[in-house]
Amino acid sequence: MKRLSRPAVIAAVAAITVVSLAAFSGTATAAAPAAKSAKKSTLYFGVSAAETGPYAQYGTQFQEAFTLAADQVNAKGGVNGHPVALKYQDSQSDPKQSVTVAQDFVNDPSIKLVFGDYSSAASIPASPIYTAGKLLQYGFNNSNPDFTALGSKYQWSTSVTTNESYTWTADYIKKQGVKSVGVTYLNTSDWGIPAYQAFKAEAKKVGLKITDAESVDPTSDDFRPSLIKATAGKPQAFVHIGYGPDAAEIVTQLRSVGYKGTFYGGQDVAAFDTTPAAAGSIEGAEFLPSSPAPLVKSFVKAFTKKYPKAGPVTGFEAGAYDALNVAVAAAKIGGTTRAGILKGFAKVKNVPSVVYGKITFDTKTRLPAAPQLTPTVLKNNEWVVYTK
Amino acid sequence: MLDTFIAGLLRGNVYALGAVGISLIFGVMNVVNFAQFSFFGLGGMLAWFFVAQEGMPFWLALPLTLIICAGLGLIINIAVVRPLAKYLPLAAMLSTYAVSQILDNTSQATFGAQDRVFPQVLATSNLHIGAMRFGTSDVVMLGVTTVVMVTMSLFIKYSKVGHGIRATSQDQEAALQVGIPVGRVQNISFVIASALGGLAGVFFALYVGIADPSAGLNTGTVAFVAATLGGLGSLVGAVIGGFILGILEAFGIYFLGGASDQIIVFAILIIVLIVRPGGLLGKVPLISTEPLTGTFLGKGRPFRIPWWVWPAAFVVVGVVIPLLGNTDVLTAGTQVLIYAIIAAGFTVTAGQAGVIALGQAGPVAIGAYASALLTLYVHFPFWVALPVAGIVAAVIASVLASPIWGVKGHYISIATLGLGIAIVAIIQLVEPQGLYNIPVPHWFGTALSTPVDYYLIDFGVLVLTLLVMWRLRRSHLGKVISSVGSDETAALASGVRGRNYKALAFAISAFFAGIGGSLLAAQYTYIDTTVFTTLMSILVVTIVIMGGINLPYGAVIGSIILIGALELLRFTDDLRVIVYGVVLILVVRFRPGGILVKNS
Repeated sequence: MKRLSRPAVIAAVAAITVVSLAAFSGTATAAAPAAKSAKKSTLYFGVSAAETGPYAQYGTQFQEAFTLAADQVNAKGGVNGHPVALKYQDSQSDPKQSVTVAQDFVNDPSIKLVFGDYSSAASIPASPIYTAGKLLQYGFNNSNPDFTALGSKYQWSTSVTTNESYTWTADYIKKQGVKSVGVTYLNTSDWGIPAYQAFKAEAKKVGLKITDAESVDPTSDDFRPSLIKATAGKPQAFVHIGYGPDAAEIVTQLRSVGYKGTFYGGQDVAAFDTTPAAAGSIEGAEFLPSSPAPLVKSFVKAFTKKYPKAGPVTGFEAGAYDALNVAVAAAKIGGTTRAGILKGFAKVKNVPSVVYGKITFDTKTRLPAAPQLTPTVLKNNEWVVYTK
Repeated sequence: MLDTFIAGLLRGNVYALGAVGISLIFGVMNVVNFAQFSFFGLGGMLAWFFVAQEGMPFWLALPLTLIICAGLGLIINIAVVRPLAKYLPLAAMLSTYAVSQILDNTSQATFGAQDRVFPQVLATSNLHIGAMRFGTSDVVMLGVTTVVMVTMSLFIKYSKVGHGIRATSQDQEAALQVGIPVGRVQNISFVIASALGGLAGVFFALYVGIADPSAGLNTGTVAFVAATLGGLGSLVGAVIGGFILGILEAFGIYFLGGASDQIIVFAILIIVLIVRPGGLLGKVPLISTEPLTGTFLGKGRPFRIPWWVWPAAFVVVGVVIPLLGNTDVLTAGTQVLIYAIIAAGFTVTAGQAGVIALGQAGPVAIGAYASALLTLYVHFPFWVALPVAGIVAAVIASVLASPIWGVKGHYISIATLGLGIAIVAIIQLVEPQGLYNIPVPHWFGTALSTPVDYYLIDFGVLVLTLLVMWRLRRSHLGKVISSVGSDETAALASGVRGRNYKALAFAISAFFAGIGGSLLAAQYTYIDTTVFTTLMSILVVTIVIMGGINLPYGAVIGSIILIGALELLRFTDDLRVIVYGVVLILVVRFRPGGILVKNS
């Protein structure tokens, strides 16, 4: 008998492996038990977020908040008796992977809604898949207006968009009596650039002069050359359009190039809050952990009790917490099916929210109707309401 | 102006420290050590951990950090780099990339993924020249760099070990023969270089105020360019290169904006490699020692594939899987197929022409953007955009790469790596917004957008690619290109101008890379430049090495194993990237000629 040559064996083994993988995975998915017992079936929500990779910290924050909210909901009887549970998949907030995750979720009939992704760049490419699969994609953390604007009726968000945020910022700065600002913004297509465009447009409208605007590379850590240029025109105040960690570097380096004016920027994350140079920064906040509202107080209390080792509660946890409650409210109105939840989203009214107080959707934009921002200042490593 | 100059000086200081380490290792081992880059990030994180979390004084934390970095460096050298560098410097280089991934991920797993505020162990803005403030920490950094440089120069010039290092850099074999303990010299070099990398990382964190776990790759890449500018192997050159680059970068950003940062750096790299490959102070050997690529070709004869394997594979891959596979397998399958197309096309450059080009992500990006723009704005049907994208990629990549082909040996790989990154950076500058809603392919009115559709389209293109490869190899042109790769001098003696054929081979590979990019764009329906990373370039090279550098069908097997395994490993959560790195090292270690080649 002719001895089989090496490559033939390799090819055969590869082929058998691939085929059995295919067949096996096929049956594995099909074998997911549809529990039909006396207990009501669990209502599953999918979560597409980063468990590993550069955005893993945000995935952890979401998970903690979701778990807390789900526990509270289930303690009160779930959704009309159905317990709520979450299925997580790691997308690394990477558009290539979020698409695969989306296909997975769409093909899993037990999933009735998906939360995610962390970044608009990962959510937007997955939208056509969710739309085709008729599965509601709740991009609660996506502030790029394109997510809902270019999306279909299946894309919803309870995040303040960058347009609203930076329009508010330009207005507020002008109201403070500032006449000119220097700007740095992240050179990213999904966030920094559109945010800057919104800021620029509003600044022009209200007569706020931008002495210089520098786009910066988000992967860089040293921004001094850009800051030297941005402050060369001696602006009265300085604006940074970016995230917390880069804002921490910017504000530190801003002070070391000798600029003393007010810094408008930053985010409620540990890296920024504990940076010494960041004290005195001002930004418009949605979620304020020090808010006296009873709902916020009980949320912060419950969160710090359940996760004593986690950092301080930020807008990321708050957004996720709200998102689960909104989804539950929608399911209570419309039913625990994909189509029912979609209908429910259009109908929810005044869902209690730790970020906005109450949430009702503008069904045309699929965003919260009339969101409010509060000016806050960083004092003693904490953001508090700013009154001037 | 003075402010910008000072900012550049301080930036350059960090690069100088890092560049010295890179130059040192390259000189002594002919290996570009990507793992070095991880020490930048690790140095900062370790120092942060000791000072902020454990409450140690800085003057205790710093030496401890350096010792840990040095120790890790030693382990990396003994376990991974030295065994591979003996046989295959390029393999050692790729495996250091895998090590850097492992280090980065372990660091993230241990310290968390967030940026950490770096404690102000030294004042950072208590001094000033004019309006520009800087601090004691910056002065100390400059001082330490000076002390380190002076010590190292004296050490290398006058000590026995220093002489050993110089001898080994000049000629490893000769050094061995005169009894220099080359192994020990290399270990010591690694220890010094790693400690310097850690030191640079600590000072960088102090300078920017944040310990960023991912700072490594960025700063490291620039430090590498600085080392090349100064001359790989020359320590003084590395320092000079570091400062020059820092200052040039600072002024470049001042005048052209932050987005131009990467382009400046890589423009400098390419100019250096073309005008004066040895850098400012280095020396390019007159006779190129065996180029990196020669180590893969001629590593044994490929197995003969019996005739029935082809139709069987066609049936299994093209019919059975689409019928039986579920969405997971099909989606993974499309990734496998696209990478197989890119890698198979790449064998013309790497296998036939003998050039290990390291920047295939560049042409892939060109193809993807070209296809996206054509279908989105000019409303070309996908089937027309696909080949056009390939042609556009081939033309642009060739034009940009044309000055490079005169460069010799290692440096071509480095130049193409830089070129790949520069291409992506230019795209980011020209089109910073990603492209949304890229139209999916249509066939007589029906949209083809399910996983099965994409799989079959990709499969069809792969079959065509393999057919073209097969015909090309048997043609006269293919044989001429192969002659350049096997023995360039002999080819030249026969009247074959190596430069031109290398350029042609690169263009052909770029064509297929562009086609792969077009398929990617149509499938994702959204692209931005973050899709086309250095990791993609290195994946392509690894696939080709694994499958056998001269075998297009080997690229398919390599793609199935590496890309298929990556998808399979999705289920292993945090360990996923670490396992991938280890797998890569094992593959390169035990099967360097590729799995379809008889080991000679």
